[in-house]
Amino acid sequence: MSSDTRRARPRRLLPLAASVLLAATVVLGLSACGSSSSGGSSGDKVVIGAAIPISGELAGFGSFEKWGYEHAVDAVNKKGGLEVDGEKKEVELQLLDDKSDPNTDSASVQRLISQDKVNAVLGSCTPPLVNAGAVIAERSRIPFVTPCEPLGAFRAVKEWEYAWAIFFDEKEDTENTFKMLEDLGLADQTNKKVAILHDNEPDGINFSKLWEEAAQKFGYDVVLDEQFPVAQTTFNTTVTKAKASGADIVLGQMVTPAAIAVRKTMAAQGYTPKVMALEKGDEPIQFAEAVGDLANGLLIPTYWDPSFPYPGAANLKKEFEADTGQTYSQHIADTTAAAEVLLAAIEAAGSTEAEAINKAIGETNMETVVGPVEFAEDHTATLPLVEAQWQNGESIVVWPEDKATGKIIFPLP
Amino acid sequence: MNPLGQLSVVAAFSVPNGHELITAIVSGLLLGGLFAVTALGLSLVFGVMRLINLVHGELIVLGAYLAYVLFDHAGIDPLVGMLIVAPAMFVIGYPIQRVLLNPLIEKGMEPALLTTFGLSIIAQNLFILIFSGDTQSLSPGYASDSLSFAGITVPAVYGISFVFALVLTGATHTVLQRTAVGRAVRASSEDPVAAGVMGVDVRRTYGFVYGFAALCAGIGGVLVGLCFSFTPTSGTIYLLTGFAVVVLGGLGSVKGTLLGGLTLGIVESVGSTFFGDGYRDFIGLVAFLIILSLRPQGFFGRAA
Repeated sequence: MSSDTRRARPRRLLPLAASVLLAATVVLGLSACGSSSSGGSSGDKVVIGAAIPISGELAGFGSFEKWGYEHAVDAVNKKGGLEVDGEKKEVELQLLDDKSDPNTDSASVQRLISQDKVNAVLGSCTPPLVNAGAVIAERSRIPFVTPCEPLGAFRAVKEWEYAWAIFFDEKEDTENTFKMLEDLGLADQTNKKVAILHDNEPDGINFSKLWEEAAQKFGYDVVLDEQFPVAQTTFNTTVTKAKASGADIVLGQMVTPAAIAVRKTMAAQGYTPKVMALEKGDEPIQFAEAVGDLANGLLIPTYWDPSFPYPGAANLKKEFEADTGQTYSQHIADTTAAAEVLLAAIEAAGSTEAEAINKAIGETNMETVVGPVEFAEDHTATLPLVEAQWQNGESIVVWPEDKATGKIIFPLP
Repeated sequence: MNPLGQLSVVAAFSVPNGHELITAIVSGLLLGGLFAVTALGLSLVFGVMRLINLVHGELIVLGAYLAYVLFDHAGIDPLVGMLIVAPAMFVIGYPIQRVLLNPLIEKGMEPALLTTFGLSIIAQNLFILIFSGDTQSLSPGYASDSLSFAGITVPAVYGISFVFALVLTGATHTVLQRTAVGRAVRASSEDPVAAGVMGVDVRRTYGFVYGFAALCAGIGGVLVGLCFSFTPTSGTIYLLTGFAVVVLGGLGSVKGTLLGGLTLGIVESVGSTFFGDGYRDFIGLVAFLIILSLRPQGFFGRAA
């Protein structure tokens, strides 16, 4: 007898296992892990909700979003709450885990609206998650304010009535790397060959198209445009192709697990381009912690830094790090600002009526910790971008020079 | 999934040159070793207890987290840390079978199967609670080293995984074939009642097998952490890959698990040189279906 350990194949087991896996998908998809007490909206409270990625591929963003939203709500409650209907009312925040899954996000937002009776909703992070929740809020005519979604992807969905976005514009982002290289006199020190690696989510596809356009505009040659599913973990062939292309510039759009795998595979294959950004994936501190020194030199599009001259910017970083003991991320600022904008609008409306809050959001014109916020007709408020770089575990602003907090590492070590 | 995006991947079809093809075969062969290691425990539990262990993916992730804790907090290299992780996983796995699953197996397979499903959900939530949902990775210096020979460059950790695959499957095969424990396992697998009559403590043997399967999963988890990254919910991916490997190799066959892993690794890797990494899973599943249509019992399975 060989080392076989099997008995007669039980015919019922494989179909049963498949059924259980299917059931698991449904159960996990619908159940959300609440991080706040349950209970519906009542007359003595203002209730706002959010479904954010506490687990899954985008969890690196969720922890910062959670802090930002809670921070803004806590600040209001410490002052006695919001002046609504002629009296001060405490604000209750309902947070659910969307597990980085659009289906879970939309189900969670639906639950917040129909079961928890929230007065308004704050957004998740990245287009698939934010849009999934936004369309539910829009359908239910509930005000929805979101950070963390590039504005082109937000605009592309529809003409919004109840959803509002505060973030950067991807067109500016995709041009900035090339502008920075020109400004710093580094463009001619590269061979002007670009490899683009991106996942097949809307963000990835949109960035790929915009990078191609930007490369053409600035006189670069895109020698590779490689696409992969968002859950991809193995990148041998992709990196082999990028290395063979000889590109000095690698631009990527992917989630953090993929960014970690790509960076490790590039190092293992001995491929070191001169400039690299793995956008979205390389942004959370968890990326830098996971790959260690391999993070050094990777670019991060940045809309906020504690050094920026916005009210409370430096203090926000200190508060986050004192609260959590963790290194800050710029996402504490846009989430805090999004929540502040929503809370201010509720107070300006003086009511928890959706129409009144929505009108007040549209009239927003305020200085926030992430910069001035005023919405355009398409319901977007644009945050200007700078370029930062991972340097020894810290995000250092390297361009433009008047905002730089350090010198650029070039070429990539 | 965006259909236009998929079309652009199809448009990226390219015929690799000879060097790329050889690199893909070598890389796939080595990566297949990792597939085999992560599937071995699943194969053993199925082969001996006829149990589809739905918490297997979480056992892999648990191994990765244990190595992460040792590496991050105590500075113990992940490969050295395996000396702690592996026995710890056995200690965790053994009572799962003895206390939770053994009493249920007597009542049919469904209760035990659903229990492992419940355990997987509990484990995922515990991981989030303890480690947060953040992506983690094991990154000692050699995790980004490469092996170069004859103009072929592959990640060194793939080579390490391959060595572990050979050693683990070889050792498992030897133990099953040439030791008293192996005889007890095989007897318990073939006919637990007869084995019990002959003096084999079947419940203890099941516990030993589950513990050993957890040990293998833990080693697989450390290798996954070195090669890629992991999150609390990564286990599902490795459970599904494990299913493919185990069915491909022949349910419950140790040799088959090794061959199934290597085959899947090579097919995915070679296929990706034609269609790109984006089509790895697609290519692997198509090959899986073709092989099963030609040989439904897998490489080392018995024909029905």
